Amino acid sequence: MSDAALPRAATSRAPVGEALAGLMLTLPAGIAYLVLLLLPTLAAVTLAFTDYELGMPALNWIGLDNFREMLSDRGFAIALRNTVIYVGTVTPLSIGLGLGAALLIEAGTRGRAFFRAVFFLPVVSLTVAMAAAWQYLLHPTIGPLNALLRQVGVTDPPFWLSSSDTVLLSLAAIGVWESLGYNMVLFLAGLSAIPRELYAAAEVDGARSAFDRFRLVTWPLLGPTTLFVVTITLIRSVRVFDTVAVLTQGGPNKASEVLLYTMYREGFTYLRLGYSAAITLVFLAIVLALVWLQTKAMDRKIHYG
Amino acid sequence: MTTLRRRTLAGLAAAALAIPRMARAETVEITVHYAQPHIYKDAKEAIAAAFARVEPGIRISWLTSPDYNDGLQLVLRQAAAGTGVDLSFQALNRLRVLTERGLAQDLAPLLAREGDPAALGYTPNILDLGRIGTTQAGLAFSASNSIAYLNGALLDRAGVSRDALPTSWDGVLDIAARLSRLPDAPDPLFFDWAITEWHWSALLLGQGGRWMNPQETRFLLDSPEGNAAMALFERIVRDGRMPNLTSAAAQQAFGAGKLGMRFASTANLRNMIRTTAQNFPLITMPMPVIDPQKGCLPVGGSAGVLMARDAAKREAAWKFLRFATGPEGTALMARNTGYVPVNQIAIDDPQYLGEFYRENPLYLAATRQLPITIEWYAFPGSNGVRISQAIVDNLARIVEGRAPAAQVVQDTQREVTRLLPRAS
Repeated sequence: MSDAALPRAATSRAPVGEALAGLMLTLPAGIAYLVLLLLPTLAAVTLAFTDYELGMPALNWIGLDNFREMLSDRGFAIALRNTVIYVGTVTPLSIGLGLGAALLIEAGTRGRAFFRAVFFLPVVSLTVAMAAAWQYLLHPTIGPLNALLRQVGVTDPPFWLSSSDTVLLSLAAIGVWESLGYNMVLFLAGLSAIPRELYAAAEVDGARSAFDRFRLVTWPLLGPTTLFVVTITLIRSVRVFDTVAVLTQGGPNKASEVLLYTMYREGFTYLRLGYSAAITLVFLAIVLALVWLQTKAMDRKIHYG
Repeated sequence: MTTLRRRTLAGLAAAALAIPRMARAETVEITVHYAQPHIYKDAKEAIAAAFARVEPGIRISWLTSPDYNDGLQLVLRQAAAGTGVDLSFQALNRLRVLTERGLAQDLAPLLAREGDPAALGYTPNILDLGRIGTTQAGLAFSASNSIAYLNGALLDRAGVSRDALPTSWDGVLDIAARLSRLPDAPDPLFFDWAITEWHWSALLLGQGGRWMNPQETRFLLDSPEGNAAMALFERIVRDGRMPNLTSAAAQQAFGAGKLGMRFASTANLRNMIRTTAQNFPLITMPMPVIDPQKGCLPVGGSAGVLMARDAAKREAAWKFLRFATGPEGTALMARNTGYVPVNQIAIDDPQYLGEFYRENPLYLAATRQLPITIEWYAFPGSNGVRISQAIVDNLARIVEGRAPAAQVVQDTQREVTRLLPRAS
């Protein structure tokens, strides 16, 4: 090391040291990301192309066979259809009702904190525990709901969770109840960000009815919030699992079989981890596609401002 | 899924103290796993307490899983990860998978060391429960079969005498009709069918039928017995006015006194006695007989499977398994669950359970049926569990009245045949 080299080294050492420190600081997060997220995902992707079964000593590379099987698998087709129906019911209902509740609370003068808490309660409660309460509420013979229906003269109230006609509907109702409060809180935040003067201005400009003011001011200005709420609700409802696992186990006769439950059952009941991983990939693709579509399609129509 | 690991503080402390210097061989800690703690917990803890008095040097660390499926999953996962449980209590129909995957150790050499098995209470029938082919994959710990739970208060209202309980399905359906004519009528009956095909097979085996031929090459639901069983199930649903409930909902309805008769496993009899004690007098009776000569019932329950690799742990786990399935352990198991004892000494020698059965006659329904129970059948090949599900899915069509019995038999036959390993 020569004396002449020293000053140069000193000047360049600072940025290198800084970069190194930066790297060191991000290292824990980087390692966590790698170990907890990236590696398991890669492992799942790899497994999807094998016939691995839990407990079997060896596995074979079978290429696209798992995906080919999926195309002819009646259970998978039903699960996909049920998931679409579930998402198609829960998303619009929980968004519409969430927005409605937010508007009512925003417009109300008394008990705002109370109603906010009431609607938000389902979000903070544990789904599995709440499922037990729902099982009782919807019990065909001793449940309060059917007792009420009999009181008002319905002679044969539905069997809710055990009939293939109503099971998906019942689960969807629970799903709406679950995400309504969450959406409401997001909308409340969005509403409070709308400047009051805009309403006054709209009224001056001739928007007399409340509906006009909603159409011309509230709805457009809620755009960014709505985009976020739609995306998050879609993803949350595609992920439906706990209520199915606790209440119906996919029955009767696959009437409440949904994507994640099929994945769980293939992997952990039938022990076919390879096939289960393939379903996971399909699920991942659906979620990513949803996010992408939402942002692409709606980004252009949103007013940020 | 959820797995609870519980270690008593005392156990930890004792183990820690034992390590440094004091005779190393004295304390061995073994990990013992079982499923369904809501049914088994009291029994396992009673047995462990009694065992600790005999073998103070063996500590038990418990591992539980909510049901048998999770239980199988847990040991397979642990085996894949290289850590393991030393002894696991698994459903009798899962021994096949564990043996096929080389996880269950053959107990025959260990048993041979102990002398004549029959003298220890392990009669050939009892040993058969845990045998897969030529391997003694496990020792049966508990056995169950289907029984009928009846609501005494409702039977009284319908004018059914306790001395004239039905022994045939015709008799049962007659009572169902009387129950449904009561003012403010309860649901007459519920036949547990939904969780696995196990309970439903009581109807098939009751006709003298079997799921598969002896060579396991052909599914036999389309046999005359299979058709008769499905037709009988259709009759139970239709003429018995069976409500379309989930198993859990039916159990709740029965506990609440809104269901006349419930046909289900004897396993949770003790829980049922506790639930109904306040509400109405509970009656149990054996399953209605279908064919008095050929009829059988499937056995349910669990067996201890030895998995320890380490020699000392293996020895300790074997000692615990022997104790748990011996007369004393079996007696504690029977008292604390609804299961039937599976040790001949505990059954024959009145010092173990004689008094208990005299005072608790509700437990006798299942014990009386023991002679006609046969194995809990597991379907061959890697689609075994999937076949169970295919059968249950099709049964739902009968319960919902969507398809006639003959159609359901045909469809199930086709679906299951497709899932069976191809005959080579």
